[in-house]
Amino acid sequence: MTLPFPEWLPRSNTVNLLAGAFLLSALYAAAQRRTLAAITAYRCNSLALGLIALVVALATGARHIALAAALVLATKAVAIPALLARQVRRGRSSAATEPLLGVPGGMLVCGALVVVAFSQTRELFGAGVSILASCLPVSMASTLVGLFVMVSRREALMQVIGLVLVENAIFLAAVSLTYGMPLVVEMGVLLDLLVGVALFGMFVGRIEESQGDSDTTRLTSLKG
Amino acid sequence: MLPLLLVSPLAALACLWLGGSRATAVVLQSACALTFALSLALAGRILRGGPLEAAQGWLQADALSALVACLASGLGLACAVYGAHYMAVVEAHERDAARWAPGRYEALYLVLVGCMLLATLSNNLGLLWIAIEGSTLASALLVGYYRRAEAVEAGWKYLLLCSVGIALALFATVLLYYSAVHAFGEGPAGLRWTTLRDAATQLDPRFVKLAFLFAFVGYGAKAGLAPMHSWLPDAYSQAPTPVAALMSTALLATSLTALLRFHAVTAACIGPEWPNGLFMVFGALSMIVAVPFMLVQGEFKRLLAYSSIEHTGFLVLAIGLGSPLATFGALLHLVMQSLAKALAFLAGGTLGRANDSRSMDQWSGVLAAGPAMGVLFLGAGLGVGGLPPAGTFVSEWIALTGGLAGAHRTFAVIALIALVAVFAGLVFHWSRMALGRARSGYADAMPAASRLPLWVLLGLLVLFGLWLPSPVRTLVEQAALVVRP
Repeated sequence: MTLPFPEWLPRSNTVNLLAGAFLLSALYAAAQRRTLAAITAYRCNSLALGLIALVVALATGARHIALAAALVLATKAVAIPALLARQVRRGRSSAATEPLLGVPGGMLVCGALVVVAFSQTRELFGAGVSILASCLPVSMASTLVGLFVMVSRREALMQVIGLVLVENAIFLAAVSLTYGMPLVVEMGVLLDLLVGVALFGMFVGRIEESQGDSDTTRLTSLKG
Repeated sequence: MLPLLLVSPLAALACLWLGGSRATAVVLQSACALTFALSLALAGRILRGGPLEAAQGWLQADALSALVACLASGLGLACAVYGAHYMAVVEAHERDAARWAPGRYEALYLVLVGCMLLATLSNNLGLLWIAIEGSTLASALLVGYYRRAEAVEAGWKYLLLCSVGIALALFATVLLYYSAVHAFGEGPAGLRWTTLRDAATQLDPRFVKLAFLFAFVGYGAKAGLAPMHSWLPDAYSQAPTPVAALMSTALLATSLTALLRFHAVTAACIGPEWPNGLFMVFGALSMIVAVPFMLVQGEFKRLLAYSSIEHTGFLVLAIGLGSPLATFGALLHLVMQSLAKALAFLAGGTLGRANDSRSMDQWSGVLAAGPAMGVLFLGAGLGVGGLPPAGTFVSEWIALTGGLAGAHRTFAVIALIALVAVFAGLVFHWSRMALGRARSGYADAMPAASRLPLWVLLGLLVLFGLWLPSPVRTLVEQAALVVRP
């Protein structure tokens, strides 16, 4: 299936630039010790995702993709970062805790993950699946980076940021593979995501309330 | 079909709106009763007229959806009736009880039931994902009901693990959609389950395989398959009893249905061997993992939680065995284990309150202390352990017979050994609790009316064990045909 793509749009350059911004912001989030900085990185990540979707919408002229892109921007670049930042401000322990693996070590792992993702995606999907072929390895790499953030951090909120990074990467995969899912589905997914992040915020608040900080490695009372 | 889906959310809104008055419990129970009646009517229509579609192909109901819808709404009703008494006692006596706005518990409960019904009836894999994620969110709030550190920990683990799982399931949905876009073009048709299943041969096998792998991890985590099961004992043991009962039965069945939808498409596209192998290996793993934890378990709800992992493992393994008889047995087991497990959880809730302890060491002489509760408790033991005349015996027997006669005898034997080991553990725990002298502090604060749903569950469990009514049998048979055409 090929969709008409106007020649005037410097498509590969724009999309490649945005995809680069997407991956870099995910890596930037992984390198941050401070939660607020990671949230900013996530906001840039979402912005890049929304703009890629917008470029696709402009290129294909499909109104439902434009609407989906607007919704992505509203939820992921505005609402979710706002919810997360509010939770940081409310939290008692603003001091950054040490990641399980130090930042330089973590960056090395992330670099390795990116290399693996880029080398394996071609094998899996073949070259040139769509105009957005360049986005697919980026999305795989960001998925892995997001999962790495989840397992390497102790603070509850950083794990949530890892999770929303993974979600962003999957959205990018959806956009680059199929130009996004049907609008109704996309709206439902975004709604679930928004409610989910609000819930996560609530649980983070309760963890801080019960043990004084949000170090999830100390959640070990249930066993066996 | 649409009224069935609309009742729960509307009733949830009504509960929030009514707020303080006692009417919320009535609204909850009548809404559950109404959904159950509508589900039964739907099942009747499907038995007579075959699968239905609604809402321009977004919804569909075949025998499998009707079966799970009946389970979800029926168990929703039983747990709601019991829960009205139980939660009243909890709110009056428990220091840790949540200080939620009145009506919030009922509203969340109804949202959970509504999401499960939507998941079983959705014909669109995207909609299915939304409903399953919705059920996770609603139940995570309910798991965190008690105001204590353990409940927060359980809720957090549950939410985080299942969210990662469900993110992978979203990726699976995207991949399947991608494999279909070539064949059907963009739009909802590419996510429509009936279309995908009927035209599975046109899909790109590589992506279907990859999609199934991700869906297996994602929805498998939600169903409690090892090794993604670690959230489950925590969540079940910390959730209020009616919610734990609903999660271990209806929610498990719903997540499994989501997995079976992917299985059906994959089996139609690349043949059943590969997905079946995955089912058998991880089913066997779940059964084996659960055994040691059940043998040395000290807490009743955690014992039942590990039993759920074991039963899920058995179900998945039996479906993976691939013979029609084993598939029929597996789906029958889904019904039977739901009845038995709900009965065990609810009976355990009453006994836990009466003995004022969650630890099984503190329970003794249940038969002597309260004969009615004792009989229910023994019945629950028969059901969970799979002894006749409970229906679980019949379903396990059928599934194993089908497996032993089929090509994968090794896995059937593994399942048999695990079942025997679990049975030994259950006999040990149950005899310790049921027999002996009554504990001195035993005080059952629950009214006799709260035992009514338990008697109904026990009655159905034994009835189905002795004689399976023909509509139920036909429904399970047709559902087995949906799973394995």
